[in-house]
Formats: sequence, C-alpha cells, structure tokens
Amino acid sequence: MAVVADDNSTSSEGFVARNLRIPFILLVLCFTAWGVAANLTDILVAVFRGIFNMSNFQSSLVQFAYYGAYFLLALPAGFINNRYGYKTGVLVGLGLAAAGGLMFLPASQFLVYEMFLLALFALAAGLSILETSANPFVIAMGKESTATQRLNLAQSFNPIGANIGVLMGAVFILPALTPEASKAIMSDPQLLASQEADLALVLKPYLGIALVLVAIWLLIFFRKFELPKPAAAIGEDIPSGNVAARLWKNRHYRFGVTAQFFNVAAQTCVWTFTILYAQDVVGVSPENAGWWLQASLIIFLFSRFLMTWLLGIIRPSLLLLIMAMFGVLCCVTAMFSLNTLGLIAVVSASASLSLMFPTIYGLALQGTGEDAKFGSAGLVMAILGGAIIPMVHAAVMDEVGPAMGYVVPGVCLALVGAYALFDLRNTRPAISDEVLPASEGGMS
Amino acid sequence: MMSITSNVRRLAGSLLLAGLWITLGACSEEPDVTIGLITKQEVNPYWVTMREVAEATAKDNNVTLLTATGTSDVDVESQKRALKEMVAKGAKGILIAPTSSTELLPAIEAAREQGVIVIAVDTPVDPLDAVDAYFATDNEAAGRLVGQYARVKATQMGIEPKIAMLDLAPGISSGELRHAGFLDGFGISEDDPAIVAMADTEGDRKLGEARMAEILAGHPDVNVIYTVNEPAALGALEALKDANVDLSRTILVSIDGGCRAMKNAVRPGYIDATAMQFPENMAREGVRALATAIRAGENLSGNLDTGVRLITDDPAPGVKSNDVAYGVRNCWGN
Repeated sequence: MAVVADDNSTSSEGFVARNLRIPFILLVLCFTAWGVAANLTDILVAVFRGIFNMSNFQSSLVQFAYYGAYFLLALPAGFINNRYGYKTGVLVGLGLAAAGGLMFLPASQFLVYEMFLLALFALAAGLSILETSANPFVIAMGKESTATQRLNLAQSFNPIGANIGVLMGAVFILPALTPEASKAIMSDPQLLASQEADLALVLKPYLGIALVLVAIWLLIFFRKFELPKPAAAIGEDIPSGNVAARLWKNRHYRFGVTAQFFNVAAQTCVWTFTILYAQDVVGVSPENAGWWLQASLIIFLFSRFLMTWLLGIIRPSLLLLIMAMFGVLCCVTAMFSLNTLGLIAVVSASASLSLMFPTIYGLALQGTGEDAKFGSAGLVMAILGGAIIPMVHAAVMDEVGPAMGYVVPGVCLALVGAYALFDLRNTRPAISDEVLPASEGGMS
Repeated sequence: MMSITSNVRRLAGSLLLAGLWITLGACSEEPDVTIGLITKQEVNPYWVTMREVAEATAKDNNVTLLTATGTSDVDVESQKRALKEMVAKGAKGILIAPTSSTELLPAIEAAREQGVIVIAVDTPVDPLDAVDAYFATDNEAAGRLVGQYARVKATQMGIEPKIAMLDLAPGISSGELRHAGFLDGFGISEDDPAIVAMADTEGDRKLGEARMAEILAGHPDVNVIYTVNEPAALGALEALKDANVDLSRTILVSIDGGCRAMKNAVRPGYIDATAMQFPENMAREGVRALATAIRAGENLSGNLDTGVRLITDDPAPGVKSNDVAYGVRNCWGN
C-alpha cells in the first residue's frame, strides 16, 4: 500500500502535525510492538520444540502461521484502509493482534500446540493489518516533504522492538525453561506440570504485549483527530493498461519478486534456526543461545548503516552480489564447521541479509514508473518465503542433521546472488530522480 | 466526554503497567539455607558440570552453596577435610561424590551425628545406608542399553559377534554394573564364546588404546567393542584406526555423555552409540532435595535414578534412543 499524503489537506506545521503528535507516538509504539512480536516468534520455534517434544518440522509451523498470516492479510488490510480509512485499519489491526495475544491464555490452559498456532496466526494477522495501515498513516501525518523522514523515524523503532523481543525471550523464557535433562527422570504427571510451567513462561510476554496493544487501542480509539484522505493509494490510482501483465513481462521485476521471496526465506531461516544451531550443533545452553540471536540482530542493525554508506560507493547490484556470496559462504561454513566458528558464521550471515530487502526492492521497481505502486505489493507479498521455506529448512534438519539445514538459506542466498548477477549483466538505462514507493512489509 | 477520556487514559495506563508487570514477572525470597557439594576432582569436565549446575540451582533456590574438590578420583583426605570444614561452616546438608566407598564412612557418620543430611552422588558408599540418600546413574541400565543396541545392530549387519570388553577395574561397582548390564542387554553370559577378550582400562584413554591394540593383535576379527566409558572408547578408536579396521563393519559402544566424545566421535559415527548419564541431574535434584528437606525440617531417604539415554544417529529398531542433537544439547564438558 503506497500512499502519498495530500499536502494541502494536512494541518501540518512541522515534522508531525500538532494535533497528531500523540497518535504519532502511539503509532511508533505499534512499530515497536510488531518488532517485539516478530522476533519473539523466532525464539518460540526452539521453545515449542522442547515443550511439546516435537520435530524441527513441526515446530517450524510457528513461522508458517506467523508469516502465512502476514501474507494472507496484506491485501484485505489494503481494502480496509481504502474503504474505512487508516484509523480503522490501525484499530482493527491492534484489536486482532491483541486478541491473538490474549488467545495465548486459553492455549496455555489446554496445552494444545495448534491453539498456539491459531493465536500466533491471529496476532500476526492483526500486525499485518496494523503495519499496512500504520505506514501510510505515518506518511499522512505531516508535510509530504518530510514523509519519508517521518516513516524512517517510525520504522527505526521496529529493529528496537525486534531486539527487545529477542531480549525478552533470552531473559525471561529460555533460561527459565525446564532443563531437558530434568525431563529424562520425570514421571508423566511431573512432565505435564513442567509443560504447564514452561507454557506459562511463554504466556507472560504475549499477555504483556496484548495488554499494551489494548492500551494503545483505547488511546487511539478515544482520540479525536482528522487525517487527510489518501491521495494516491493503490487501487485508486492504478495506471492505465494491464499493469500485472506489464510487470510480469519485465524480467527485472519478475526475477526481483522471486529474489525477494528467497531473501525473506533466507532471513527467516537464519534467524529462526540460530538458537537451534547453537544448541544442537555447538551445545550452547538455552540461557546463552538467545544471546547469539541477539548478536545477529545487532549485526543486522549496524551492518545496515555500513551498507547504506557502501551503496553510495558501490553499484547496488554489485554490492548485493558480494553480500549474497558472503551469505552463501557463511551458510557453507555453518554446514561443515560444527563448532563455534560455524555459529559465528550463522550470526555473520545477518550482515549479508541487512541490505537485501531494500536493495532488491529498489532494483526490481527501477524503471517501472507508475506501475511501481502496484508492483511494490508483489514485493511485499514475497514475505510468503518466510512462511514456506523455514519448513523446508526444518525438514532437512530432521533428515540429515541440524547443521546441514543451512543448505536451504545457502541456496536462497545463491539465488539472490543470481538475481544480482542478472541485473549486473542486463543493465537498464539509468533513471534518475525516480521516486519509489516506501518499502513496506514485515521484513525490512 | 472529558471524564470518559480521563477514565480511558487511566485504564490504558493501568493496562500498560499490568502488561509490563506481567512481562517482567515477580521475584520471591525464601529463607537462606547452607549446603555443601564435594566432588572428586576438576580435571574431568563431568565434575565441573556437576559443580556449575549445583551453583546455578543453589542461586535459583536462594541457597548458600559451599564447594570443595579433591585432586583425583582417589583423593580421600581432601574429602574428609572438606566434610569437617563444611559442617563447621554451618552446612545443613552435603552432597558428596565419594572417592572411597568405605574410607569416608567415619567422616560421613560424624557429619550426620550433627544433624547434617548427606547424599552420595554418582558413586555409592558401602553400606548404602551410611548416607541418607543416593542419587546416581543406574549403571546397569546404561550397560543394558548399549548391549541391546549392539545386539540389534550386529543382527542387522549380519555379523557373527566377536566381542571385546574394555572394562574399568576390579572391585569398582559402577564398572561391574555396566559390564553386567551389557551382557544382559546383548543376551549373553560371562562365559559366552562370543566374548573373545576382556581388559581393564581404568577408564583411561591411553590404557584403552593400549588394551585395544593388544586385543587386535590376538583377535583381528573383533567386531563388537564395549567400552566402560568414553575416554576408553576414544583410546580404542585410535587403536582401531591404527590397525585399519573397517569401522563400518565394527560396532563400538560406550557410556558417559561427555561433549568431547559426543561431538568428535558419536556425531561422525565412530562411536555407534553411547549411553548418556546426567551429572547435572545429580547436582540439581540433590540441591533441591536438600533445600526442601532442610527448610521443612524433615529427613531425606531413598535413591534417585538420575537417568540414562541412548544417543545415536543410527538408531536400532526396538531400542529407544535420542539423536546426537539431543546428546550435544545435554552433554557435559566442552
């Protein structure tokens, strides 16, 4: 959903319109909240595997539920925004996400894995709507000239939330779980009690997130504010002709969507299975394993800044190729170096991932002109890769061992590299001053 | 409208606080209790793991833990001294991995006479009722598991078993129980002709290598090797490699669950299966049991089997096992 605010209709006096400052802060909290939820979910795969004594494949359904919901709700969210406005979109998103968080309560009582998946689906569905609404909402909250800056500021709270999410898992969940060795000597009633206690640990942060979301919902619902109407939302301003067919004929775009699918897949795989790699391959304790994932996110964050600088020096597709190859090297090292070096390689892969989403986004839409508004939706929907490919990674882990699972993100990153190579070899005329829609979606 | 808004703000504020409170959780305090842990030595990571887990459990349970260790597996004097010192420092319960089943009995008895609860961990005392409780691996069950595995694998591979047994040393109960368990699991008796050689290794890698080399010199057709622990297995493995034995047609099993063997020998399949024991359970359950009993003013009695799991990535039908990933997660040492 790409939206440009109508400058004239906003009572803007600065960075954020005066009457929208508190809603802006609340939206920033939303950006933080979905960062928390998304990366807390990465930890859940390892946690549920232990609690429910499942295979890696079964536990990877957590990501299928989460990213599947993100994918499925992306278009309905756009419809809600266009039909009922951003405030409604944000409220529906917040409400659904809070309901998802609260659904952890009955799920932890019934001790049924599928109920947790349902709760996660609802939570992610809400966050998908929230995100799709909040991005253009933020853009519309002030002058058009500061829209990108405003969106960047709001989005910068997402990685902060992501780090908080992992931190919560590393501090409150992983160290407090019943040790696996203890379970070796437990009777059935003791095992059940430990399962209840461990699920209560999972429940706490999600219940906390739900209550915070309800609070934000109330504050937004009861706050009166006027927003400008979206001036150029997708669906209202579709360029003439068959856009989809035109985009499909554009190989840079078509391959770009495919590359984005594999990029999101690689990112989800690398982060989802970092904790499992640390535990299963290197023997890191659960209380320390979470810190390795935390390190991944910090590397991702700092590498982003480095990549931004490098993009000013190196051609984007060339840098994409170099970093994709670095990512492949990390995955290969993880596959064959079954020790701390392998774990460092897993964590280092985040450096290669850091530039991919925005770079592929830009390369794929370059030269698409007005079609970019529609085309961006396809790139956002490539998030489906995060739902499907982790299951393949998990299945490989189950079949040939936890380290060899990294062949999957390795192949994904190689395909991203192939796209970069294609772009390098098939140059297009440079289009200067082209304005692309702001990148949206659960990955960034 | 103003009051509604203010109520909503209050409600939202309360929800935010509740969310944070639930997320952060609450802490609780219990009265302080002092207990002691005496291990055999700290060269073997097995004992290091036991101490580390005891320390972590003590912290979680608001217990003051005193620790002491000796210089070797037979350092009795250090343990006698540690028992006296811990009692003097006010320990109300002591976990001890005895370096001698009999020589420590007077010191243990003196401690118990002063109301100290004593739990033997890993190694029993003789008689067993000289301590209040005994928390340890069921060594016979561990031996039985690897015996069953070796039997099924031998049948599966279609080999006629020629068994070599690398034992601990005469008179040490854990080694004897493991040996008996293996025979039971394999379904043979002590005098079965399938057993072509037996040798004592004292659980030492170099002795394991030397004994295995000697056995191979006399019986190059050995194809099933039982080892009492992983250092002996790693030594035997060296001898097998030196003799260019076809490892794919040889079954090597062991008992322990140390990380070094798990990562370097079990994961690549050199050791086909190992029975994992859990020193952390001895420490964790021991500290918890003592803390609970002391706080309740009750005595403690009985034995606790601290668990054993067969670890292999090449499972044998009908023999319950866990994969090497489980082994790596739960192994002791580095």
